[in-house]
Order: sequence, then C-alpha cells, then structure tokens
Amino acid sequence: MTRVAIPDLQDAAADTTVSTAYDSIWAQTTQAPVGLETVFLAEDKLYVVLVVVLIIWFGIIFFLYRTDRKIAQLERSLEQDIHETEGPA
Amino acid sequence: MSHVFPTASRRKYQLIRNVVVIWLTAMIVAAFALRIPFINILEHTARNLYFHVPMWFTLMAAVFVSAYHSIRYLGSGDAIRDIRAAEAARVGVTFGVLGLLTGIFWSRFTWYQGTEIWWNWDPRQSMAAVELLIYGAYFILRDSIDDPEKRGKIAAVYNIFAASTVPFLLYVLPRQLQSLHPGAEGNPAFSEITDPVMRLVFYPAVIGFIGLFWVLYTQRTRLRLMEERVEDIRFEKETRGDTL
Repeated sequence: MTRVAIPDLQDAAADTTVSTAYDSIWAQTTQAPVGLETVFLAEDKLYVVLVVVLIIWFGIIFFLYRTDRKIAQLERSLEQDIHETEGPA
Repeated sequence: MSHVFPTASRRKYQLIRNVVVIWLTAMIVAAFALRIPFINILEHTARNLYFHVPMWFTLMAAVFVSAYHSIRYLGSGDAIRDIRAAEAARVGVTFGVLGLLTGIFWSRFTWYQGTEIWWNWDPRQSMAAVELLIYGAYFILRDSIDDPEKRGKIAAVYNIFAASTVPFLLYVLPRQLQSLHPGAEGNPAFSEITDPVMRLVFYPAVIGFIGLFWVLYTQRTRLRLMEERVEDIRFEKETRGDTL
C-alpha cells in the first residue's frame, strides 16, 4: 500500500499560485481570537449554542414574571374589594 | 366553568402544557445529542437552527392567530376577540425579539467573526427589527386609547395592516436583497449544506415552540378574561347599589 502524500499546510500558504487551497491560507492568516471570541470560538463554537438557548430561556422566564406581576395586581385588587365589602374588622 | 371563561377547558390546557414541556425537553436533549457534520465557520452553531429558526416560525403562527381574531373582532365586536388578538401578538412579538437576539448573537461569531461587529444593517436583520417595531406601535396604539370599543376597532384595523407586512418584510424583501442570511436561494431555514438528519430535530422544535406559544397565550387570555370578569362584577355591584 502506498501512502498518498498530503500537502503540508505551510507549503500551501507559501504557494501563491491560483491553485492554492483557499481555506488553508485563511487558516494561516487568521489571528488568534481576542476578547469574547476566546470563549465562543472554542469547542467548535458550542458555547454560542449555549448562549442562544439561554437567551430563549431567560426570554420565557421574563415573560412568566410579567404574567406573575399581572396576577399579583389582580389579587391585590380583589383583596381590596373583599375588604370593602366586609368592612373593617 | 367553560361557559364563564370561554377558553380551552382546564384539563385540555393542562394536558397540552405538560406534553409541550416534555416535548421541548426531549427536543433540547436531541439538539445536542444528535451528531451533525462539521461545516466550516458554522461548526456547532449549526445547531442554532433548532432554536433560532423556530422563533420566527412561532412569530408567524402567532401573527396569523392574532390577525384572525382581529378580523373576527371587526365582524362581531366581541371583546374576547380583542383580548385574544392582543395576547397572541404579545406572545408572538416576545418570540420575535428572541429570534432577533439569538440571530444577532449567532451572526456575531459566524458572519462577523474576527471583526467585533454585532450589527451591520444586514437587510434580513434590519427588516426583522422593523417588523418588531411595527408591532411595538400596535401596543402603544392600544395603550393610548381609553374607550374599549374604539380601542378594539382601531387596534384591530392596525393589527391586520401589521400582519399584512409580515410576508413582505420577513420573506419577500430579504430575498431580493444581498444578505449574509441563508434564504436568497429560496429557503431561509435550509441550504444545500444542511444535513437532512437535522430535520429530525428541527420540525419537532417548530411544533414544540408553537405549542409553547399556545400555552403562554392561553395563560394570558385566561388572566385577561378574569380581569374583565372582575370589572363586570364590580360594575354590576355599583349599579345595584345605586338602585337599592
């Protein structure tokens, strides 16, 4: 069995002809991530998905809190009604 | 009690709610467990297809429900139609905001990787933002009119107009313009690099989130009906007190 020669990335980057694999040059010239990208480009960008899920999670929670506040308002106004009907104890 | 509160029966509501919770939990597990092919730039964020795209499907469903009730309101003048239209729009817009926010975050680490850009007036994102503003105006309009019948009518007419802009702003226009968002080729959710296996999670996700919309929407409608009922009882009491 003969091994197929795999072109070296360094050679590909040095090669400036048109046939150069585009993303191998890209891979060579991409700078090291800075700031937020150090976190979110790691693990094949899995943490981006985590944040997207968390955005939806907190959005739903936010909505439930607003509904909760409306229920509390209704409760308060009903309590007041009951007080007025029964009169002060 | 269904004759007092014209919503789905409590038992049916609870059943659907519980099914939605289990369904979405299974969907989230599958979203991470299912192996998908590696695609440059997208990498694991391809999984956002299961979360970001259903937000917009849910918005579309909510807008449809909302416009339906607005049309029925104009026909009948029944206050419940107005309540349903407003609450469907409110929950729908919440999903729309989540769709926009998740889209912004996703694009920051794919389209704009290495540039530190969060927002670049991409046509599709801009149109989505405009659509949400159109619906924001619907709620401001509602809040600015005190008379319930006048509010109901004007809000219903505006809501039908708002719904009619959705297909244009979210579908037609973005496909005519240069955008980084997939969809110019025809389908904004799937492209030729989307693995067919992803449909196994994507479609259940759409159904699950629309189910969640229904649960939240029904919850709000029940609450609003209860508020209306309390008002009515109060009013009856006052008028009876006057005549006695």
